[in-house]
Amino acid sequence: MSHPIIEISNLVKCYEMGGEEVYALRDVSVTIGSNEYVAIMGPSGSGKSTLMNMLGCLDTPTSGTYYFNGEDVREMTDDDLAEIRNREIGFVFQTFNLLPRATALQNVELPLVYSGVSKTERHDRATRALEQVNLTDRMTHKPNELSGGQRQRVAIARAIVTAPSIILADEPTGNLDTKTGHDIMALFRHLWEAGNTVILVTHEEDVARHARRIIRLRDGRIESDTVNPDA
Amino acid sequence: MNALESVSIAVDAVRSQKLRSGLTLLSIAIGVFAIIAATSIMQTLERAVTSQLADLGENSLLIQRTPSINFGTNWAKMRRRKNITYMQAKEFRERMATTHMITISNENPGFTVKAGEQSTNPDVTLIGIDDMYFTVNAVSVSSGRPITESEVATSRPVAIIGEDVVGSLFPRGNPVGKLITLKNQTFQVIGVLTRKGGVMGQSQDNRVLIPISVFNKYYTWEWDASVDISVKAINKPMLAETMDEATGIMRALRGVKPWEQNNFEIDANDALTGQFSGFSTALLVVAWISGLGALIAAGIGIMNMMLVSVKERTREIGVRKALGARRRWIIRQFLIESITLCQFGGIIGVLGGLAASWGVTELLRASSPAIAYVFPTTTVIFSVIICTVIGLAFGTYPAWRAANLDPIEALRYE
Repeated sequence: MSHPIIEISNLVKCYEMGGEEVYALRDVSVTIGSNEYVAIMGPSGSGKSTLMNMLGCLDTPTSGTYYFNGEDVREMTDDDLAEIRNREIGFVFQTFNLLPRATALQNVELPLVYSGVSKTERHDRATRALEQVNLTDRMTHKPNELSGGQRQRVAIARAIVTAPSIILADEPTGNLDTKTGHDIMALFRHLWEAGNTVILVTHEEDVARHARRIIRLRDGRIESDTVNPDA
Repeated sequence: MNALESVSIAVDAVRSQKLRSGLTLLSIAIGVFAIIAATSIMQTLERAVTSQLADLGENSLLIQRTPSINFGTNWAKMRRRKNITYMQAKEFRERMATTHMITISNENPGFTVKAGEQSTNPDVTLIGIDDMYFTVNAVSVSSGRPITESEVATSRPVAIIGEDVVGSLFPRGNPVGKLITLKNQTFQVIGVLTRKGGVMGQSQDNRVLIPISVFNKYYTWEWDASVDISVKAINKPMLAETMDEATGIMRALRGVKPWEQNNFEIDANDALTGQFSGFSTALLVVAWISGLGALIAAGIGIMNMMLVSVKERTREIGVRKALGARRRWIIRQFLIESITLCQFGGIIGVLGGLAASWGVTELLRASSPAIAYVFPTTTVIFSVIICTVIGLAFGTYPAWRAANLDPIEALRYE
């Protein structure tokens, strides 16, 4: 492992629900380095979604520390978090979450718009990202003109277009048939081999076994953190 | 995400919620319509009244076929009135005994005057006058000389021009003695009018005066060939008596039976202006209050539409935030959207208002040909600004709501 991108120690996340305190994460410590391929697993209610939100800088911890590339996430304002998400994190969602009115190319350009990249550079970089997912022939199509697998590939292109430090995928094959799911997993593997850091969040063993390292959560704690011999 | 995209989202929002957005846009359109139509009509009327009355001197009467301004009186009846012909007016002048300060004139707006390469805008008022014009009216010549009786009698092509026309055609040098052309007729400039400045935004110097005999020959239309007669009483105490005499002579000349009403208008200067300004102010106040009221109601409608839009697009907002949209990007997007919506309504209202005021002007012209349409430039600009302000004011809260959504909640929203 090279230098860590993610350093979480003794992280606690507690929500207030109807006057009661609910612990989604209790004392989680984890370190993820560059070019790792990690699957975070656990049944529903295990805290894996909360952990993903933390890793994705969508939320801040109640206590404990979270350093992202050496920066203390707990200290950040909403706009700081937005900036770090924009620059450092590529999200891939289960339901793709593409903008329905925008073309594939425009969807991929979106994160670059928010980071203030010029129009021509945006276009070039988005085109290259779509090349990486083999979708150059679908650039001007809108999401409803694309198949599920194609939509997810657009979403992956959108995630990698900013050259982020991590690609964070939440059940990326959950809405796809088995065959398409395999294609998408092959694409993640390819991205990892090309030097990217990939974090999968899933409850499916089939998906998780693609990763090199599997972190299992239960009741808000890390149950196991193992190297996957199969990958 | 740029401004254009937000505009196209606004267009989509209008399309997908036809009834709701239609009603909202309608209320904006009504507000803007009321403001534009009322202001434009009032400006048009005001210009007509002031341009006709501003020249009228003290102790003066104005006799016309139809009133300068027609407040809801029967237009059809007005239109059936016979013209006051030039011959009839001359006969009237002969018969008047209480005063001899009587002038016959007629005018039409919208002329282009040329001199060599130079040309004015097509907005010069052309007035046909006789030799008594300068005696009766509060108008004088600053250089050159007035038109003489014999020039009127023999239809000489001579002209007296206002300072605005001098400015456009003869920027340097004395125009007296020079030639100008009006619709292919050439005139020699014999004098320049003393500068009068503007009255309610209407310049009194943008005019050309020619003998009425020439005017009648070339510059009137048949329905338009009714002249105006200005009569000046010898002093204030005599005004009432002069008016009685003038009324009697006109009735006799136009064959009005004793039981019939006048088939012409006769009014003293101050009576007309006072009457008009009270009426126009009241109408403007009512139109603006109801217009602004409609706009505020529309603003609330816009806010409702935007709140629904934010709700429907919660997930999209979540995605945008996850991808790194800062608060101000989200705010900007929704503000542009609400301003665009307001502008749609505004444009409809402006076009409707302009069409209505133009139509009303045309109707008025049927009975009062001297009226020229006034384009309400300032009010149109004001409407665009107020639509923007309403879009901003009522879009701010929904935009702020959108910007403050928790990205996790928003992404989970179904």
